[in-house]
Amino acid sequence: MKPKKVLVVDDSKLLHRMFEMMLRGFPLVHAFDGREALDRLAEHKDIELILLDINMPRMNGLEFLNAVKAHPEFARIPVVIITTEGTEDDTERGMQAGAAAYVKKPFRNEELLGVINRLTASPAA
Amino acid sequence: MAAREQLPKHPTSALDELRAALDRAATLAKELEARPEGAGELKSRLADVESDREELSVKLAEYEHQVQRLMNLYVATYQLHATLDPAEVQATIAEIAINLLGAERFVLLFWKTGPGGTRQEECEIAFSQGMEDDQSGAYQGGTYGGGDPAVDATLADGVLRIGPLDGSPALACVPLTVQGAVVGALVILKLFDHKEMLRAEDRDLLDLIAAHAASALFAARVYSVTDRKLKTLESLVALVRRQ
Repeated sequence: MKPKKVLVVDDSKLLHRMFEMMLRGFPLVHAFDGREALDRLAEHKDIELILLDINMPRMNGLEFLNAVKAHPEFARIPVVIITTEGTEDDTERGMQAGAAAYVKKPFRNEELLGVINRLTASPAA
Repeated sequence: MAAREQLPKHPTSALDELRAALDRAATLAKELEARPEGAGELKSRLADVESDREELSVKLAEYEHQVQRLMNLYVATYQLHATLDPAEVQATIAEIAINLLGAERFVLLFWKTGPGGTRQEECEIAFSQGMEDDQSGAYQGGTYGGGDPAVDATLADGVLRIGPLDGSPALACVPLTVQGAVVGALVILKLFDHKEMLRAEDRDLLDLIAAHAASALFAARVYSVTDRKLKTLESLVALVRRQ
């Protein structure tokens, strides 16, 4: 089975490097803010999962998520929010905006991999 | 007539058949007796397998834990030395503190140096995060002039301190050293609410920051100064050549 392409949206270069190490089986596309991420989505039509930070310059994660969910072509792509914003309100806001999962930083690799495997394994995802 | 036909032709053969039947019964009885022992053996094997499985899952969790620890260390080291831009090195130190350690409030201090590289009595705050709500008053105006006993001690002796620390709100004081000399400290004052405490594996990252962060920043600053001087010289040479 062809590995699914993942878009990583985070302003931290450290986290991009971390995801490269963690997700060796997945082709990754990188973006450092929401606006750049929208450009990457338009370029790569086969992206099947988005890992999204919230606090970013230019366009933050929630703004990007709203744009994705309002887009007829991209709305089906599951989005995992990965952020330091860890209150219940933050989580609820993210899930209401249409996120498929919410992971708090710092995260355990197995926790995030479990979420990613679940979302990429399901055909409905 | 029919009953007579059913009788055995020879009495001895009837006895033999009876003996054989008794033997079969005895064998069956033995097998029946043996059956509970077999079930017991199976149960014992099942218990062994379950115990092995538990041991393996504990080991797997340990390996995953070690892999994550090593991955964090590798990524942090790689990123610290991936650039010669001082601002990027500083940003990487902050990213390690936020994303890998879960620090919500922290300051990065460097001893101020005067002319000729002489060390002054206060530190500059090179980077801070979440300090808007800080009530201590020790970190104001972009400088730290002392007052927190744990921070002062770390800046003086270069020893990593992890809280709780007597008389100090700091959760960790990480010395930043270059060739054995303390040039500053990373002071972690608060973790995110969802990160309850610094864990054992965080100690490795704090050690790594102590050993690598300052040298990476120092190298980047030296490069930056040298590069600026080189560019100044090149533009001077170009100016002279034009005249």
